[in-house]
Amino acid sequence: MLDFLSMVFTIDFFYSIFRITAPILFATLGAVVVEKAGISNIGLEGIMMSSALFGSLTAYWSGAWYVGVLVALAVGIVLGFVMGFFAFNLKTDIILTGIAMNMVGSGGMLFLVRVITNLTEGRAMASTTSLITANLQIPAVHIPLLEDIPILGPILSGHSVLTYLAFILVFLTWVMLYKTSLGLNIRSVGENPNAASSVGISVIRIKYIAIAFSGAMAGLGGAFMSMYYAMGWSQDMVAGRGFIALAAQAMGAGEPLGSMLAAMVFGFAQAFGIKVSAIGVDSNLVSPIPYVVTILGLVVFALVARRRAKHQHSAAALEKLASKA
Amino acid sequence: MKKVLAMILALAMVFALAACGGTTETEAPATDAPATEAPATEAPSTEAPATEAPAKVYNVCNLVNGNLGDKSFFDSCESGLEELEAAGRITYTTIEMGGTEEDQPTWLSTLYEVSESGEYDLIICGTYQMPDYLNEVAAEYPDQKYLIYDSEASQPNVVNINYKQNDMGYLVGVFAASMTTDTTLDMINEDAVIGFVGGVDSPVINDFLYGYILGAQSVNPDIKVDTRYTNDYVDTAIAKEYGLSMINDNNCDIIWGCAGNAGNGAVEAALETGKAWFIGVDSDQELTLSADLAAITLSSGLKNIGDSLVWFFDQWDAGEDLFGQNILLGIAEGGVGIVTDKNYATYASDETKAAVEAAQEAIVSGELTVPTAIGDESGALEELRDSVRP
Repeated sequence: MLDFLSMVFTIDFFYSIFRITAPILFATLGAVVVEKAGISNIGLEGIMMSSALFGSLTAYWSGAWYVGVLVALAVGIVLGFVMGFFAFNLKTDIILTGIAMNMVGSGGMLFLVRVITNLTEGRAMASTTSLITANLQIPAVHIPLLEDIPILGPILSGHSVLTYLAFILVFLTWVMLYKTSLGLNIRSVGENPNAASSVGISVIRIKYIAIAFSGAMAGLGGAFMSMYYAMGWSQDMVAGRGFIALAAQAMGAGEPLGSMLAAMVFGFAQAFGIKVSAIGVDSNLVSPIPYVVTILGLVVFALVARRRAKHQHSAAALEKLASKA
Repeated sequence: MKKVLAMILALAMVFALAACGGTTETEAPATDAPATEAPATEAPSTEAPATEAPAKVYNVCNLVNGNLGDKSFFDSCESGLEELEAAGRITYTTIEMGGTEEDQPTWLSTLYEVSESGEYDLIICGTYQMPDYLNEVAAEYPDQKYLIYDSEASQPNVVNINYKQNDMGYLVGVFAASMTTDTTLDMINEDAVIGFVGGVDSPVINDFLYGYILGAQSVNPDIKVDTRYTNDYVDTAIAKEYGLSMINDNNCDIIWGCAGNAGNGAVEAALETGKAWFIGVDSDQELTLSADLAAITLSSGLKNIGDSLVWFFDQWDAGEDLFGQNILLGIAEGGVGIVTDKNYATYASDETKAAVEAAQEAIVSGELTVPTAIGDESGALEELRDSVRP
């Protein structure tokens, strides 16, 4: 047992949690903000896939990784606006719009990559792996001082620029939501759009900002996928991370910090699964681990929330009694 | 509001134009080719008796459900046909039908067109995307002969050519096991551990694995093979995680990736750690990966579409009627092999090359038969897989 533990909980295990969590965390932050505005954006997955393609292609054309990241960000924002245009102006169902976005991200990008680059493969699906070399990848950062600390150093240092950005953005998102008037507007639009508009907030403008923000986050997540995690874009490479982000948002009760922890639980489970497969556990048992953990997490969350509601309820009842007496 | 709508419409039109541009380009050779080939088809029929050629010169149509230049199946198929034409055995026309979703409707209509024309002795197509179309058309034209490679149709006038992954795996296994203890090579460690990243724990993928393990054991009975399945053919990132774990936890220094696009995650893991080499699958991946990744790709297990076509015409000339059959080609028929130039030629020692050649000869001569995982219910592979875990 001790052997097993020392084999699993190694330095690169903890290091990999951050790497696995980062793309999910980006999308999770997008989901947190957009849900605060009362919108369910299930198209995060599709936006990630689209940004992943354009990010890796522009990095190739420009020869600079940061151009790719910025374009991925821009594509995310544009697609967020496109979703918003359909959902808010043309009044399509937001869920259906999200499904459409996911289809665009999968089939549409396959179509575009063939139109743009003429890349085809005989049997496997197309990918831009042939274009991306290591110097077009998002670079890793070694933090001076921190990297010299034993154990903690190699775990926390040496991640990509975007990995750090993801965790910094958790804080910034919290500040935005709770310390700025924009955040207040977003929350009020989500909780009661009629009340918000009665005090002069343009509900549609706030909704656009929220969905564009979610697009931007998904765009960064996409850039992480194709420009750091994997080399280049390939079809469906996001592989459900956009949906996991929605689950993380729900598990984290829609708060930035809680959702970050939920995303990290998922990252932990994924990393755990990979380590467990190293000692020969059947792959069919390993690959569901992250999803099982997600379900368990949701159950625990629901139980805690219910108990808390009960407590509040009984506390309120006691107060009532006390005031009567 | 109106302006936004106008913008979107304009965008849509640009896309439509781009799409049109793409298809006309790819179809251009298709419409030109038959016109220029037409006289060629008449020529052999008149010349055949004069030159006393014993074998018939076949007129072949090669339908490509994509484009040439893929450095993979389509190019391999084309080179086989070129070889046959140069030998004066066939004349052929290649039609590039394009590979996008938008091109798919033309696959069926093109199949109908070339079948209707009746001028071809054989119509060739391939890949997993074609059987449905082929089944429909082949049933309509029972007198027309068809060949499909790397897939399977179910009509009596179609010959289905598939490839023995287990034979390929055996060669790759022999190669990998020989390399993994050759510490004179950069990045190779002392441990005799090699890796395998498969797509799904399924008979087809395990067929690769079965040969791989047995081939490796033939070189070194104590070899360890770390097998991981991504349970996915698209998630490159998770394949990379598995690759990193194989390299860091189990000291794998050579990984064979058999998981479609996801398999490339293994070579990315090797590049990132700088501690392992990669072996590709199906086509020569040194040609399709980017420079950094190709540099650490030692070789690739190959499906030789071109050679398998030459083999088929040999059989046809010999009077074999293979239509309606499912044919599995292995090393003996040249259907599968291993890339032996570029990095292989540079890095493999003479002993390694000799071991691979010896294995190849043993299989060709029939001394050695590699068992298959397809249809094997005995659980022998699972037992073997567990016994060689590091």
